Amino acid sequence: MRLRRLTILLVVGVVVAITATAAAARINSARGTTTITFWDAYSTGGPEVQHLEKVVIPAFEKSHPGIVVKDVTIPYDSLHQKLVTAVAGGQLPDLVRSDIIWVPELANLGVLAPLDKVMPSFKTMSKAVFPGPLATNYWKGHYYGLPLDTNTRIWLYNPAALQAIGASAPPANFSQLQSMSAQAKAKGYDLYAESGTSCWNLCPWIWSNGGSITNKTYTQATGFLNGPKAVAAIQMLVNLYKAGEMPGIIVDSNAGLGTYDGINQNKYVGMLDGPWALSIFASAYKKTQLAASLVPAGPGGSVSVVGGEDIVMTKASKHQQAAEEFMQYMLGTYAQTQMARAGQMPVIKTSSKWLTKIHPYYATYLKQIATAKPRTPTPKWTQIDQVITTDVAKAFTGSESVQQALTEAATQIDSLLK
Amino acid sequence: MTASSSSTPGSLGRSAAALRPRRRTASRRRREVLSAYLFLAPGFVVFATIILYPIVRAFQISLYQWSLVPGTASKWLGLHNYGRAIHDPLFWRGLENAAFYMALTVPAQIVLGMAVAVLLDARIPGRGFFRAVYYIPVVTSWVVVSLLFRYLFITEGGFVNSELHLHVNWLGQRWTAMLVLGFLGIWKGIGWSMVIFLGALQSVPAELKEAAAVDGAKAWARFRAVSLPAMRPVIAFVTILLVIGGFNVFISVYLITQGGPLQETQVLLTYMYQEAFSYLDFGYGSALAFILTLIVFVLALVQLRLFRRPSEARA
Repeated sequence: MRLRRLTILLVVGVVVAITATAAAARINSARGTTTITFWDAYSTGGPEVQHLEKVVIPAFEKSHPGIVVKDVTIPYDSLHQKLVTAVAGGQLPDLVRSDIIWVPELANLGVLAPLDKVMPSFKTMSKAVFPGPLATNYWKGHYYGLPLDTNTRIWLYNPAALQAIGASAPPANFSQLQSMSAQAKAKGYDLYAESGTSCWNLCPWIWSNGGSITNKTYTQATGFLNGPKAVAAIQMLVNLYKAGEMPGIIVDSNAGLGTYDGINQNKYVGMLDGPWALSIFASAYKKTQLAASLVPAGPGGSVSVVGGEDIVMTKASKHQQAAEEFMQYMLGTYAQTQMARAGQMPVIKTSSKWLTKIHPYYATYLKQIATAKPRTPTPKWTQIDQVITTDVAKAFTGSESVQQALTEAATQIDSLLK
Repeated sequence: MTASSSSTPGSLGRSAAALRPRRRTASRRRREVLSAYLFLAPGFVVFATIILYPIVRAFQISLYQWSLVPGTASKWLGLHNYGRAIHDPLFWRGLENAAFYMALTVPAQIVLGMAVAVLLDARIPGRGFFRAVYYIPVVTSWVVVSLLFRYLFITEGGFVNSELHLHVNWLGQRWTAMLVLGFLGIWKGIGWSMVIFLGALQSVPAELKEAAAVDGAKAWARFRAVSLPAMRPVIAFVTILLVIGGFNVFISVYLITQGGPLQETQVLLTYMYQEAFSYLDFGYGSALAFILTLIVFVLALVQLRLFRRPSEARA
């Protein structure tokens, strides 16, 4: 009897819960409320998430009654894994702020909506943004996203440390980099600290020396990554490292202080980094005021690497119209200005007129990005980058010559590009 | 039935009467068996869902170039991913590193865990306090202690190099990095084996120890001849679990060295994770996982055989 009563209670409970949920959904639908989910990896340490959630999204919801944006911030290191899991489980959100290097991978999996096909406003929006960041959304004949923010690496340095090594200006070219590195070592400093051997870290040197990673159609690395110009660029850095003029963190992140701590503790003079570093120093390393200059130029000029994020819409989105409205808004002047205040470099062409008023250092970034190059757009980029990281490190540790290491890397990359 | 068919008509009534209680017994036995299965069912369903199904599914995925997107076709590769592993130097390096970690941490955790258990089994002042102190590393988060160890062993400015006035590139070379990882594993694991051994020591019959003492056996002899044999099943249990845990080392490697530098400190699980989640090669990742499962399974069987008592072995 008792069991039967319990069963009846349980059934009644379930029925009430289902009815209430359905009723709530009907009320929402009657009011015309659409909720879109947006996954991103904005930094929670700085002002990025605060600007997004307290200023940008509320303003959108106010100007677009009936659309609610559910923002889900995920740490950058976990976002890729979460996306992979969501793809496998068919649980992707409506919109993702994706690192530019993941877009070809996600597009190749077939989970992104080709915006040039499904979004009526794509043509207008794509004309309003810089072509370089837009190109990072292109994969096999279609555009799978729009640029949301862009960045590149420039030479950031501690002016006090620069003065301490007896220099009046940061290194402007390769030969100054080499002579000033020796000068810095004599004073107990490292002129240039680099935290790895990936393309993000070292491609600026290869490109600035006139070298390249692959051919123009991204189908072959042999003859390019192991070409004389790329080899000479890496050889210059290896020579600095072997002379004890660069800290060991380029090969092993546990070998010493990270770039930020090293600069803050007056051990390193400079590094290559993006605009977020300035926001982080302004809030976490207040005693050090960073200054900015271009990447030291080589025979190929001063060429850095394009970074940044794209906003992509998933095929699984059930609210593509609302998602499109949010994308349009995020690429509008208001949202781009607000996020620029939080350290995110805008992608709309009109920003060059007002960007330096927000932060003077954006001027150097704007100048650098004009010549910056993207990394190879391929779904296999993560593997290719791991190959570069591992093989180039062999040249630094001395287990292989630079030529051997880059030839080995190029051979492996050739097979990944097939 | 055989009995009734061979009976004469005159004896049928007696036979039927004799069968009735037997049928009742059989039916009661069936009910008991059914109840037992019903009690086992929930546990089996959970086991099948979260253990058996993933193993079978992982094996299935390992036979394909697996497409991540549901509903799309995956390419059949047969045993290709297993052949690839055999010819993959990184797989062998991961296996060597995991085996090294296991060989370093398992004996140390057993010997030190046993030593601490014996010490803390004795009536000493502050016994409860020390038991808690030795157990603290076990309940401390892997993430926290891994990052702590990373900072301890950083080359420039790390606590160990600074205090000992050394300049050892602990985490920048394969074997020194594996030593640090092993040291962390031992430090964190001693408390766990200590607690199990302590429980086992306390369950050794006091009269056996007293009898040995009366016979003139000293402390070491009593431990070796009385306590150790009585603890044999517990030692087997601890060893098997530690070996499995040793081969499955992941969090500390992932957080301290990320398998680097130059992929020198990859262990099987970090390599599998890299292949599956970074390169989206779930087929190969699953093959690596399945190979690891087989290795651990075979090792567990070998240990069970080794730990059998001589009498069990004869049976």
